[in-house]
Amino acid sequence: MASSMPPSLPSIFSTFSAKTHQRHPHGILLSVCHRNLPSLFVCRSVDDGSEAAAVEEKKVESAANTAAAKVENKAEVKEEEDEPLGSSNGAAAAKLEPSAFKDPRWVRGTWDLSQFVRDGNTDWDAVIDAEAGRRKWLEGNPQASSNDEPVLFDTSIIPWWAWVKRYHLPEAELLNGRAAMVGFFTAYFVDSLTGIGLVNQMGNFFCKTLLFVAVAGVLLIRKNEDIEKLKKLIEETTFYDKQWRATWQDDNKGDSRNG
Amino acid sequence: MAAMSSSSAVSSQYSDFIGLHRNSIPSTCAAGNAGSSRFLPLRFRRFQIRAGKASPLLAGRPLRVAVIGGGPAGGATAETLAKGGVETVLIERKLDNCKPCGGAIPLCMVGEFDLPLDIIDRRVTKMKMISPSNVAVDIGRTLKPNEYIGMVRREVLDAYLRGRAAEAGAAVINGLFLRMDQPPAGSGERYKIYYIEYSGHGSGTGEKKEMEVDAIVGADGANSRVAKEMGAGEYEYAIAFQERVKIPEDKMEYYKERAEMYVGDDVSPDFYGWVFPKCDHVAVGTGTVTHKSDIKRFQAATRLRARDKIAGGKIIRVEAHPIPEHPRPRRVLDRVALVGDAAGYVTKCSGEGIYFAAKSGRMCAEAIVEGSANGRRMIDEGDLRRYLDRFDRTYWPTYKVLDVLQKLFYRSNPAREAFVEMCADEYVQKMTFDSYLYKRVVPGNPLEDLKLAVNTIGSLVRANALRREMANIS
Repeated sequence: MASSMPPSLPSIFSTFSAKTHQRHPHGILLSVCHRNLPSLFVCRSVDDGSEAAAVEEKKVESAANTAAAKVENKAEVKEEEDEPLGSSNGAAAAKLEPSAFKDPRWVRGTWDLSQFVRDGNTDWDAVIDAEAGRRKWLEGNPQASSNDEPVLFDTSIIPWWAWVKRYHLPEAELLNGRAAMVGFFTAYFVDSLTGIGLVNQMGNFFCKTLLFVAVAGVLLIRKNEDIEKLKKLIEETTFYDKQWRATWQDDNKGDSRNG
Repeated sequence: MAAMSSSSAVSSQYSDFIGLHRNSIPSTCAAGNAGSSRFLPLRFRRFQIRAGKASPLLAGRPLRVAVIGGGPAGGATAETLAKGGVETVLIERKLDNCKPCGGAIPLCMVGEFDLPLDIIDRRVTKMKMISPSNVAVDIGRTLKPNEYIGMVRREVLDAYLRGRAAEAGAAVINGLFLRMDQPPAGSGERYKIYYIEYSGHGSGTGEKKEMEVDAIVGADGANSRVAKEMGAGEYEYAIAFQERVKIPEDKMEYYKERAEMYVGDDVSPDFYGWVFPKCDHVAVGTGTVTHKSDIKRFQAATRLRARDKIAGGKIIRVEAHPIPEHPRPRRVLDRVALVGDAAGYVTKCSGEGIYFAAKSGRMCAEAIVEGSANGRRMIDEGDLRRYLDRFDRTYWPTYKVLDVLQKLFYRSNPAREAFVEMCADEYVQKMTFDSYLYKRVVPGNPLEDLKLAVNTIGSLVRANALRREMANIS
């Protein structure tokens, strides 16, 4: 299930921290258990097609390596085998009636913009709210994709200025405010230390660098967590390269990384 | 790439085999290390000694190489080795194995490996990408009439490639590789492999045998035993779980030339769910790296999303297999090399492995044939490293681009929504198919690239903004 993300632009980075946390423990645990598949027979039959399907499932279970879930999953899978699909089965049965997303303004797979008119203009904010509501509902109740009623809505029909007005401007105001405060106090500080006035500071290379760092810092680091996120992001961009080059390094560093 | 052959220096090194593996460069110090001691680490381009050409002539016998595993990688390796005059032995544990697999091969593989067209069950020319909110986008409009993604049955493809290897002169043995005795590094002595040879007719019983070989190519897949024996290290892997479903004829018609890809947190947190057409049924599956224990839940969600289109179908088979996420830390050790899934050559984002398995097998074999001068000389680790270098340099851009795409577009639902939105763009479709079908990363038109970048950022920003709204609702 999706978790809600902090409302900031670096929010797209937020999920990978969870990902990398789980990556290594899972990798270690599963690689250990994976190799513990004891006998030759078991190893062979994990992907052995000629075995009976029931045995196949058992081996599939050990490949997926869930202890507690094994018992209930076995029963579930056997049940699915016996019935044709389309009749409710397994976990899908419980909450799923074929109740599609219903909203008077959602017509034939897209939002009917004529129903969003307010004061003679389309109320784009309401469209954004409606689409957010639909996606939220779908997250909790995943629906079958249907060829008869395809979803045709594309977020780019909402004009760019509607997005800017709603999301960019408040954030921009916040950041500009921060930049102004930081800039003012830094300029005051530098002036008190060196006696160089604001106009002359702009001509000095070091001061220009400070300015650049201040602007970049305000843009990139908006919450405390962003510092860690940025570090992880930088590591992540080069991680794959390192994995590929491990064979060229030929020392134990490569082994320990991929535990 | 600059190649430096210093035969006199090499021959003096070869007179003392122990010296070959003692490196004077501290950063490359390790036991059992490379023969080409002059390379610099952390760089793909380096000076290489053509050591093989100066290595000792084999007295009166050709080089003998054992290829462990008879899938696409093993078959391609064995064929190229046998054609090159090397005595090849291909050991495959199950000659009729139906490896659980998506079964998609790119167009270039048909040409490069001279595959007969009747091996291909179906030609997929349309793909449907379905976002978490069920926005469905059809891609494939830009394909020319002769372009397609070939869907094959693995048992058919593997058997064909093995048959070609046998025709070229390789000895195909139905047996299970157990372990190997590795000689001291650089000694030039032979390896000894231990295996069980099956008497055939599916009896399941076999006799233990051993064989002495000069080099070993590990093509035995994701759970490679050769990799374990040589200490290649571990990799992270995804579990791919798939159900073969026989659906009614009218529903099968929809999948005649179409494959579907479902993305969403419900279907997989870091991969995608798929419906791929096979010869007379469809394969519905999903995969994950980080949440392997929830794979059944993801599979149920995939079935739910495709429910209307596979209604009335019967599951005829359930299968699962690990898929490597990245190459193993060590792919070559002395005269043992890994190819294919055993080495970990599966791309991110699409999870494609068949073509790279076959190609890496061929490249490794070519390097062995070259280094041994058609089987007349002993090879050494430097020859195998040449294969690694060639493979890495040729396909690194492809792997990296797919890695970037995966990191960008598979990390969250908003990113996936943006991904599907981007797929509607014709330029994206053209670039995607060009790079997939021909394995070329073509730069393309700079102006279009800029437009694409702007559109991508726009899509991502919009999707994330919607996500913020969704968070506010709850």
